[in-house]
Formats: sequence, structure tokens, C-alpha cells
Amino acid sequence: MANDIILETESLSKHWGGIKALNDISLQFQDKQLHGVVGPNGAGKSTLLNMLCGTLKPTSGCIFHKGDQIEGMKPWKFVRRGIGRSFQKTNIYADVTCLENCAVAAQRRFTGSFNLFASRHANKLVREAAEKALCQVGLDSRIHTVAAEISYGEQRQLELAMVLATDPCILLLDEPMAGMGHEESQRIIELLNELKQTYSIVLVEHDMDAIFELSDQLTVLDNGTHLITGTVDEVRNEPRVKEAYLGKEDEEEAA
Amino acid sequence: MIFEKRTERIFLAIFFVIALCIPLFLEDNSFFVGKATTILILAVFVMSLDFLVGRVGLVTLGHALFYGLGGYLFVIVTPEYEAVNFWIYAMYIMGISALVALVVGVVVLRTSGIYFIMITLAISQMAYYFFFDSLEFGGNDGLFIFMKPETSIFGLNFLNLDNPTHFYYLSLLAVLVTLLAIKIILRSRFGRIVEASRLNPERTEALGYNIFAFRLISYIIGSTLAAYAGLLFALQYGYVNPQFMTWEMSGTALVMSILGGMGTIYGAILGTITYEGLQYFFEHMSEDWMLFMGGAIILMVLLLRKGLAGYLEKLLEK
Repeated sequence: MANDIILETESLSKHWGGIKALNDISLQFQDKQLHGVVGPNGAGKSTLLNMLCGTLKPTSGCIFHKGDQIEGMKPWKFVRRGIGRSFQKTNIYADVTCLENCAVAAQRRFTGSFNLFASRHANKLVREAAEKALCQVGLDSRIHTVAAEISYGEQRQLELAMVLATDPCILLLDEPMAGMGHEESQRIIELLNELKQTYSIVLVEHDMDAIFELSDQLTVLDNGTHLITGTVDEVRNEPRVKEAYLGKEDEEEAA
Repeated sequence: MIFEKRTERIFLAIFFVIALCIPLFLEDNSFFVGKATTILILAVFVMSLDFLVGRVGLVTLGHALFYGLGGYLFVIVTPEYEAVNFWIYAMYIMGISALVALVVGVVVLRTSGIYFIMITLAISQMAYYFFFDSLEFGGNDGLFIFMKPETSIFGLNFLNLDNPTHFYYLSLLAVLVTLLAIKIILRSRFGRIVEASRLNPERTEALGYNIFAFRLISYIIGSTLAAYAGLLFALQYGYVNPQFMTWEMSGTALVMSILGGMGTIYGAILGTITYEGLQYFFEHMSEDWMLFMGGAIILMVLLLRKGLAGYLEKLLEK
């Protein structure tokens, strides 16, 4: 069933003092779809993502995961429900190998982490899951390399592999292609196209070509408000979107 | 293999061989055996601190709280004129210390960074002044231990705590057990998440781990080991007083761990021996030994960025 709603927000708002970073956002994220989120700088994209994964508490409004109300829960409980996120700024364990990075992510799925005696290397399932996640993103050759020693683009791939190793049902990706070269971006786009067959993906990205190519649904935010959600074509033909990105015409003339 | 580095294996092999033999050569000199015992007990305390500071990432300035607690608890829970069983009461005291660490940990672990340093310092100072001002716990003079416990296991009694050599081996056993326990924990699945939480707490939480729980359990383990060291120290000298709990005690242990090479665990043993050795050397050389001691430590920390263990590794690895 392609139209199952996995994650849903209802009148979600985040205020910092008097500043409304995000105001009254109601969205639905469906299974096996890639839901793009775009908007100019300061539109509230990252704020939205941070609330969806539990690291920011909303000022008001609700978040539902498969029908359960989850806002206000601890971030690690979000992950346990299958909501995995990647970070805009590469956020990995730089001092250990790529395999160990993913093993941290995978361990929770297979075995208790409060075991003080069993060697961390003893569980085969953890190792296999970590290796599988690395292969999925194309880091097969870097399994035993220390994360600090791989290229920036590869670190972005590792970032993604760590999310995949948690076995999520929904991926919240914060600019996975930020700072990547063209070829590397292409590889990620291919990967995301593949992943959206199995996962629900929320993608925040500045690369417009990529997001138009990938999105099944596209949401435009501007200045903390929800402008429109629709298919790529619907969004493209919406005059308010052009305004948000290019400024109002009379403003431009005045300038 | 829980000892991953070659340097670590070499150092520990040499250390344990020498440590096992020391009483054979110093049998007649109970002063030196006593001194060596104290160093071993301190090494247990410093290792437990090194685990928390260097491996869990909890920079505490209040670790001596548990060192003192181990000593005080023994006097408080044992009957005054009866030789109790050492092993049973050691377990008992570590259990109570673990509970205290649980309560203290729940409070202090709500903070991090500089605030964590301040709050651990504040709580240990509170405990210090509590014992300092209390009449029933002997105030500044502390409490005396009149009867050393007996150490029979299933009726077998092969250790006599009044014998300095026996006490020495008991302390060496404590070093070995503490070392193994910490190394096994660090290599475990629990240790993996503890390591991850130190390297990148934000990421670890975003991977589904409640890092508070991991830190709390680590804090309880480190504190309980410190309490055991404090218990041994109190038994060796036959008294416990508020000096066990001073912030200088925590600070000195921190210096020993930094000197040895923070987070290396075996470096804590190395750092303790070096610090105590230097102090002994300078004390006998000059009235102003603290001046030389301070200078020597500043020099060593400046020259050896990763401590003595780091320097040895540079020489021996590859």
C-alpha cells in the first residue's frame, strides 16, 4: 500500500521568543515516497527536520508516527520507532573505522547494549548489518578505514550508511549532498532513487535539480510558513513559489 | 585480546613481574612494602578516575568523595570490636557506594562540560565538610579502625591483613582485577556505546541510545571501584578522616592520570608510580620539594602531550 501515512504533523509550530521559526505546519509523509522540503534560507527546513526526529521540542502542535502521538519523547525513542536522521554537518565518529561507525548504529537492533562482558566484536549480525549498510552506499572498499581519513564526499555517504544501519522505516535527510561534487551527487541521487522503493524519505536539499528529479511530493516553506505541498509540476507552476524564491516583482522593480 | 597495544602488554608484563617480586626483596623493610602498597591502592583509584575522565568523558573533580566514602562506610557499618569478614563487607560497602553513586550520578549527570566539573566538586566538598563538622564521625580527626577484618573464604584463611606483605598482595590483586574489569567493560558492547557517547554524544543519541543511562552506569562503576580503593587505604592505615575526600585528592589523581596518559588505563598505573616516585625523590632532596615537584610535572606535561604512555607507545609501536 503506497499511500500509508507514516509520519504526520498537525499545526506544528516552533517559536524562539517572539520569532516564529515555524508556524502551523500540517504535513503528511507517506510510505515509499520521497518527500522533498525546499525553501529559501531561514524558511524553517532544518527546524522542521529537528522536530521530526525529536531533537527539538515543538512549541505547539503534534507529531504522529503510525498513529501514535510522539512529540515530546526523547530523541532516542524516535530512533527506536524507526525514524532515522542524517545531519547537515557531517556528524560521524571520526576516530574509528567506518565499520565501527555503522556497528554503533546497528548494535541496538540485534543485541542488548548493556552487556558489560561480551566482546563488542562477538556478534556476527551486528557486523553483517554494518557491512551491508556500507555496501549499500558504496563504501565497500572503506570498511576498515578510519572515518577521518576518507574524503568529504565519502563521509557524507558514511553519514547515510549509519542511518541505514539503524534499520529505519523513515529517513530524515538534511542536505545529504551538501558540499559534494557533481559525480558524488549523482551517486547519492541514484542511491536515493533506489532507497525510496523501500523507505519513506524526507529530503531537505538545496540542489533544486536533484530535488525536482527525486521528489514524489514537494513542500515549499517560506519564512516559517507552509506555502504549498504538491507534485513537482504543481509546485513549479505555483506563482507564490516564484515570489518566495525571487522576491515580488514590484519589490524587484523598487530595488 | 583485551590489551590491544604492544606497549600496553609489555608494560603490564614488566609491571606485574616486578610487583610480584617486590616483597621478596623488601621482606625486612616493611616501610617500603607499605609505601608500595599505598601506590597500588592509589593506582586503583587513579584507574577508576582515568576510566571516567578519559574513556567515558566525565571530567569529575569530586572522585575523592567515593574514596573517602569507602573508608568511612567500613567504620560505620562494622561492629567496633569484632573482626568481620573482609570479602562480605567489601561487597556490602561497594553495594552502598553504588547506591550513593546512583543518587549523586542522577543529579550531576544532568549537567555537562564545565558545569559537570563544578557540580562534582561542589558535592564532594559538601561531603568533606559534612564529615569535617560531624561529631559522631570524629570530625577532623576521623575514625579509627580497631579491628582489621579477617579474610577467610569458605573457612580457608590464607591472608592476614595485619601482615604488610599479605596486604600488599591483596592490593596488587585489586590492581589486577580493576584493570581487567575496566578493559573488559571497554571492549564490551556496553563499552562501544560508552566510547561512541564520548566521541560524539549528539550522534549517539540520534542512533537511538539513551546516553544518560550509559553514563550513569559508567559513573556507578567508576565510583564503586574508587570506594574499594578507599576501603583498602583506610584498612592499611587503620583510620579514615576527611582528608580522604579533599578536592586535592581528586586533583592529584587527575594529575597522575594525565601524567600517565589519559584514557589509556595502564597509563594510570604508570602515572601513579611516577608521581609518587618523584614526590619521594624531591621530598628527600629539599625542603622546597613542592616547587620542584610542580616544575617537574609542568615540564612533563608540556613535553609529553599524551603522557608517559603516549611516549612509550611512540617508542615501541610500529
